[in-house]
Amino acid sequence: MTTVVMRTTARVVVPIILVVSISLFVEGHNLPGGGFIGGVLTTTAFAVIYLAFGLDFLERGVLGRDVDPGKEPSRDRVVVAYRRLFEYGLAIAVLSGLVPLLFGLPFLTQTFVIFEHVPIYGEIEIASALAFDFGVYCVVVGGLLTILSVVGAE
Amino acid sequence: MPPELSVVLAAVALPFVAAVSTPVLYRLLGERTGYAGVAVALASFLLLASQRGTEGPVGLEWIPSLDIALRFYLDGWGLLFAMLACGIGTLIFLYSPAYMHGEPHLARFYTALLAFMGSIVGVALAADLIAIFLFWELTSLCSFVLIGHYTADDSSQYAARMAMFITVGGGLFLLVGLLMLSIVAGDVVGPDAAFNLAAMLETPEAMADGLRERGLFLPVLGLLAIGAGTKSAQVPLHFWLPNAMAAPTPVSAFLHSATMVKVGVYFIGRMRPILVGEEWLFLFATLGLTTMTVCAIMAVAATDIKELLAYSTASHLGLMVAGFGFTSIYGAETGVFHLLNHALFKAALFLVAGIVAHEAGTRNIDDLSGLRHDLPVTALITVIVALSMAGIPPFNGFYSKELLFEAAVEASHYHDIGVLGWLYPAVAVFGSIFTVLYSLRFLSLFFGDRPDALGHVHRPSTTLVVAPGVLAILAAAVSIRPQLAVDAIVQSGVDATALEHHEMHAGLPTSYSTPVGMSAITIVLGLAAYPFYGRIHDGLNAALAAAPPIAANWWYDAIVGGLTGSGARIGDRIHNGLLRTYATWTLLGTCGLALAGFVAAGTVASSELIDFDAAPAVALVLLVAVVAGLAVALSDSHIAGVLTLSILGFMVAIFYILASAPDLALTQLVVETLVLLIFLLVIEEIPEYYEVSLGKYARDAVVSLAVGVTAFITVLVTTDARPEGSTDIARVYAEQAVPEGGGTNIVNVTLVDFRGFDTMGELVVVAMAAISILTLIVMRSGGDDE
Repeated sequence: MTTVVMRTTARVVVPIILVVSISLFVEGHNLPGGGFIGGVLTTTAFAVIYLAFGLDFLERGVLGRDVDPGKEPSRDRVVVAYRRLFEYGLAIAVLSGLVPLLFGLPFLTQTFVIFEHVPIYGEIEIASALAFDFGVYCVVVGGLLTILSVVGAE
Repeated sequence: MPPELSVVLAAVALPFVAAVSTPVLYRLLGERTGYAGVAVALASFLLLASQRGTEGPVGLEWIPSLDIALRFYLDGWGLLFAMLACGIGTLIFLYSPAYMHGEPHLARFYTALLAFMGSIVGVALAADLIAIFLFWELTSLCSFVLIGHYTADDSSQYAARMAMFITVGGGLFLLVGLLMLSIVAGDVVGPDAAFNLAAMLETPEAMADGLRERGLFLPVLGLLAIGAGTKSAQVPLHFWLPNAMAAPTPVSAFLHSATMVKVGVYFIGRMRPILVGEEWLFLFATLGLTTMTVCAIMAVAATDIKELLAYSTASHLGLMVAGFGFTSIYGAETGVFHLLNHALFKAALFLVAGIVAHEAGTRNIDDLSGLRHDLPVTALITVIVALSMAGIPPFNGFYSKELLFEAAVEASHYHDIGVLGWLYPAVAVFGSIFTVLYSLRFLSLFFGDRPDALGHVHRPSTTLVVAPGVLAILAAAVSIRPQLAVDAIVQSGVDATALEHHEMHAGLPTSYSTPVGMSAITIVLGLAAYPFYGRIHDGLNAALAAAPPIAANWWYDAIVGGLTGSGARIGDRIHNGLLRTYATWTLLGTCGLALAGFVAAGTVASSELIDFDAAPAVALVLLVAVVAGLAVALSDSHIAGVLTLSILGFMVAIFYILASAPDLALTQLVVETLVLLIFLLVIEEIPEYYEVSLGKYARDAVVSLAVGVTAFITVLVTTDARPEGSTDIARVYAEQAVPEGGGTNIVNVTLVDFRGFDTMGELVVVAMAAISILTLIVMRSGGDDE
C-alpha cells in the first residue's frame, strides 16, 4: 500500500486528523466527542501512517533508530511508549478519581469551575472530568496502538 | 457496655498489617520472624481480652449506598472464638521457628499464617453478612497457601486443591444463604439492616417467623448448613480435613484445633438463636452424630499419627455440631464448652505429634512406642491431653462430652422425635467408644517397650515443648476447676448462642444419672475393646480396601477425575485452535443464553411488530445497509468484502445522525474507519481463496441467522420496554447534565461524571486486552505457531 498517492495523501491528511481528534477530545464535554472518540481518531491517524509508510517508519524515519524490520515488535521503542501511555492513562484516571476522597467526597466525584472575562475566549469552563477523560484518551490511544503495532508486526 | 471501636479494629487489623510487612520483617529477622508473630498474636489477644464483658455492635462505614458496613459485634461467643484463635496463634508462632528451622519459603509461610489468623478473628467478630463472607473465603484462601506449603510435593498440591475446592465451594452455598437471609432481614428488621447480623440477632423470633412466612426457612437452613458443613468437615465432605495434614505441623495444629475447621461450628452457634427449631435438631444432630461416629471409626483405621488426629478432629467437630443441634440449653453448653476444650487438647496433641515426627523421624503409629524414656516431658503433656480427648473423668473433655449425653437424652423431652430419641444417645455412646480407643492408642506411643528399629530420638528444644506445655497446663486447670472456665468465658458464650439464660454449672457428677451411666459404658467398653485394637484396625482397613466406594475420598477422585477428563474432551472440540471455531461457539452460546433469558423472562411474547413507522430517509439508509450486507456475503474477493462491509457501517452511522445521536454517529464513523484501515493492513496476508465445503456454508448460514435474529429480538425487547418515552433515569441525566456536570453533551457527561465507574471498568478492559496481546505474542515460543 506504500504507493506515492497513498503517501502524499497521508502527509496531508494525518495532521488534519490529529488536530480534529484533539479538538474532539477537548470539546467533548459540550459538543459531540470526548476521550474515547478522540482516542480512536488519533489511533486512526497512526494507522494511516502505518498503512502508507510501513510499521517501522516511526522507529526509523522519525526517531532515527536502526531496527530489523518485523523483529520483536514488543521491545521497540514506540511499542514501549504506547504501553507506557495506557499505563499512565489508567493511573491518571484512577488518581483523578481518588482526589475527591481528600475532600471527603465519594470516589470519582467530578466538579467544574467557570472562568469569566478571559481574553479572546471570553468564558472558559474547566471541568475536573477533563482529567478523567484525558486518562480515557491515553488508555484508548495507548491500548489500541499497542495492539495495532504488535499484531501488525506479525 | 459497648466495646471500643478502635480496640476491635486494631485487633482485627494487626495480623493483616503484620502479614503485609512480613517480607520486610523476614529480611530483618530471618527465621526469628515467628517471634514477631508471637508479639502480634499476643497483642491481638490482649486487645480482645481488654474487651471482655462488653457487648454490642461497633462499625465503620464501607459502602453506605448499599448499607454494607465493616461492622463488628462483640459478645461472649465471638470473643471466645477470636481469643482462642489469637491465643493458640501465639503458641503456634512460638513453636514454628524451631519446627520450621531450615525450611524454604518461610516469609510466605508467616505471611499466610498471619493473614489466616486475622481472617479467623474477622469471621469471629464480623456482624455484616458481606464482611463475614469475605473473611470466610479469606480463611479458605490462606489455608490453601498453607496446606500447599510444600509446592513441589504432589500430595501437598492435591490436598491444597481439595481443601480449596470443598471449602470455597461450600462458601458459595453460604453466600446464597446469606443473601436470602438479607432479603428477609430487609423486610423484617428494616431496609438499612439488610446485611446487619447484629440487628437480626436482636430479634431472632421475628427473623425466624419472617423466614417461615416467605418459605425461605428450609432453603436458608440448608444452604448455611452446606457452607458450615464443608468448612467444618462434616460427613460426607469430611475427607478434605485428613488430607490437609500434608501441611506443616504448626499449620495442622492451628487449622485443625482452633481455627478454620471450627469456623463452621462457630457459625452454626452464631445462627442458632435465629434458626433453632425441630428442623434444626433433625439436621444438625443427625449430621453431627454421624460425623462424630464415622470419623472416630476412621481414626481407628488410621496408620499415621497426624492422620489419626485429623480424623479425630473431624469427629470432635461432629460432636460440637451435634451439641448445637440439640435445642435444649445443654446443646448450647456442649457446643461452646467443647469448642474451648477441644482447642486446648487438640492443639497440644498436634504439637506433640510434630515433636514426635521431628525428633523420631517417623509418623507411622506401628513404628513408635515407649517414647516416654526419650521424651518424658512430652509424655506427661500427652497423658493429660490424650485422656482429655478420650473424655475420661476428671479431664476437661469429660465435662463437655457429659453435656452432649445430657443433651441427647433431653432431646426426646423437648420434641416428639420417636425412635430418634433412643437412637441419638445410642449413636453418641457408640461413637465415643471409638474416641476412647484411638485416644488410648495415641497415648500408647509413649508407653510399652521401645522398638529396636527406632533410632536415636533427640531431645526437643525448649521452644517446641513450651507451647504444648502451656496448653496442657490450661487443660489441666480446666480439668481441676471447670467452673473457672465457665465463669471466665463459657457462660457468656452460651448466653449468646442460646435463646434462654441458664446458670451453667460444670463439675464431677456426685450422683447417678443417665449421662453418667452412658459415660461409664463408654469408658468400660473402650477399655475392654482396647486389647483388640490391632484386629479392629486391620479389619477396618481390609473393609476399606475391599470396597473403595465406602471412602468419601474415592468419590471425590472419581468426580474430579471425570470432570477433568470430560473437560479436556470438550476443550479439544471447542478450542481447536481455529478462530472460526471459537467464533461459532461463542456466538451461538451468546445467542442461546440471550434468547433463553428473554423466553424465561417472558418478554419476547409482549413485543409487537405491527406498528412499524420510519421516515423515508431512514428507510432508504437502512435499505442501502441491507443491500450492502447482502453484498458482503456475495462478494468474491476480500477487498470487495471489506469495502461493502464498511458501506454497511457507514450507513449505520448515517442512521444515527438521522436519529439525532451525533456522539454515536461519530464513534461509529471513527471505529468504522479504523477497522477498515486495519483490514487493509492485514488483508494482504489472508489467502486469496479457501476450499469450503457445503456443510461449512450451511453452518455459517445458521450462525449468522441466529446472530441476526438474536440482535433483532434484543433491540425489539429492549426498546419496547419503555413505550411512554424516556425512562426516569434518562430524564434525570438530561436534566442534571448542565447543573451537575457542567457540560451540554449529555453522553459525555454521563460517561465521565455520572457513570465514571463504568467507564473506569471499560478502561481496565482495554488495558487488559492490550496487556494480554502483548503477553501472548511476547511469551509465545517462536516458530511453532504455523
